Amino acid sequence: MNKYSAKIFALLLTFTFLFSNAILAQGSSPDFMRSIGKIYVVVGVIAIIFIGIVLYLVRLDLKISKLEKIIKEHGED
Amino acid sequence: MKWNWWKILGITFIFISLTVGMLIPLRPGIVGLNPLQITAGQTVQFDLEGYNTNFTNSKEAKAWLWLDKDHIVKANAVQVIDNQLVKAEFDIPEHLPEKEKRTAKLSTYDEVNGFITALGRPYIKDGTIETSLAANQWNAKINNSEKIGGINFPFLPNIYESVRNTFYHVALWFAMFFTFIWGVVHSIQYLRTLDPERDFKASSFTSSGILFGILGLVTGMMWASYTWGEAWSWDIKQTMTAILLLVYLAYFVLRMSFEDDERRARISAIYNIFAFVCIIPLLYVIPRLVDSLHPGGQGNPAFSTGDLDMKVRVLFYMSVLGWCMIGYWMSNLFYRSKKIESFLLENDI
Repeated sequence: MNKYSAKIFALLLTFTFLFSNAILAQGSSPDFMRSIGKIYVVVGVIAIIFIGIVLYLVRLDLKISKLEKIIKEHGED
Repeated sequence: MKWNWWKILGITFIFISLTVGMLIPLRPGIVGLNPLQITAGQTVQFDLEGYNTNFTNSKEAKAWLWLDKDHIVKANAVQVIDNQLVKAEFDIPEHLPEKEKRTAKLSTYDEVNGFITALGRPYIKDGTIETSLAANQWNAKINNSEKIGGINFPFLPNIYESVRNTFYHVALWFAMFFTFIWGVVHSIQYLRTLDPERDFKASSFTSSGILFGILGLVTGMMWASYTWGEAWSWDIKQTMTAILLLVYLAYFVLRMSFEDDERRARISAIYNIFAFVCIIPLLYVIPRLVDSLHPGGQGNPAFSTGDLDMKVRVLFYMSVLGWCMIGYWMSNLFYRSKKIESFLLENDI
């Protein structure tokens, strides 16, 4: 991991956040979620499930990073 | 590679449920009805506003106004304006059979859209209550009451397009039960064999079960906020599921509080059996005793698919199977990483 990766990640996250906020501010009206027969509720539900799977991947990533660390420390001995 | 076919199958099932679940049309319905206040003995022209309807292609549209199965009047004329708008003219009889029967239903039939009952219920003012005379005036018959064929989702008031969530929100609960069942099976096996791998399996399956449970709760809150008006309305099933998830979260708190591996494995296996037994009263007994906002509350509380027809139900079970397979896969990945970790630590690497 290089030392800039955390900064790059923070920058990307900020941009994504600002960008999505701009889109939401432009397209949202009080009844947006209820338009076209409440179809955006389904979109929201699928998005939540996707976020859940991403969280699972993050957890698995942390677990495997831990294993890599154990192996790396062994190599240094 | 030859044992990986079920992973591909699971992904395929979920892919199909995602695409087909969004592409199957909603059954046509009538969302707008005007006027909703009518007077007995007058001629009234109703404006019917359709959703997903295709009125211009229909050859002959019929409409009926009815109080119950024995009291029906047929429309004098049905005029199709465009795909979403139909005007129907009725002579409202001046006699009514009973004092309480003043709210009528309005249904239409044509060969393209099938039989549709409007969501609005017109209320009949005035008129005299004469049972025998009313029987003569409300004497029509509804002779076409088949709904549209093909694969489609039911058109339900207030829910509309969000009925598609049965493929996503409801399937998550099935996946949760599936992973919890696997978890408790491995806990029992641990107590029988004292094999630490069984403990890893039990905790991996239980943790992905909790993920599905939390996802089911959050997606349910999303759905509820646009159909019940509030994300959290202390509905019995919402509350009981939240309690169940807390019981299961305590399983992980318990696991973290032991230093010794064998003690942790043994006590958490016993606790997991207790938590699994909690599912029965919390999700199967109590919701049957109390009124719920969930559909199917009086019957089977786990099912809200009573309105789905057979073809859609097959696709729904496909989605359930897909999520169970993905749940198994996810738990298995976590179990394997735990096994590697314990191998590395045991061999003092």
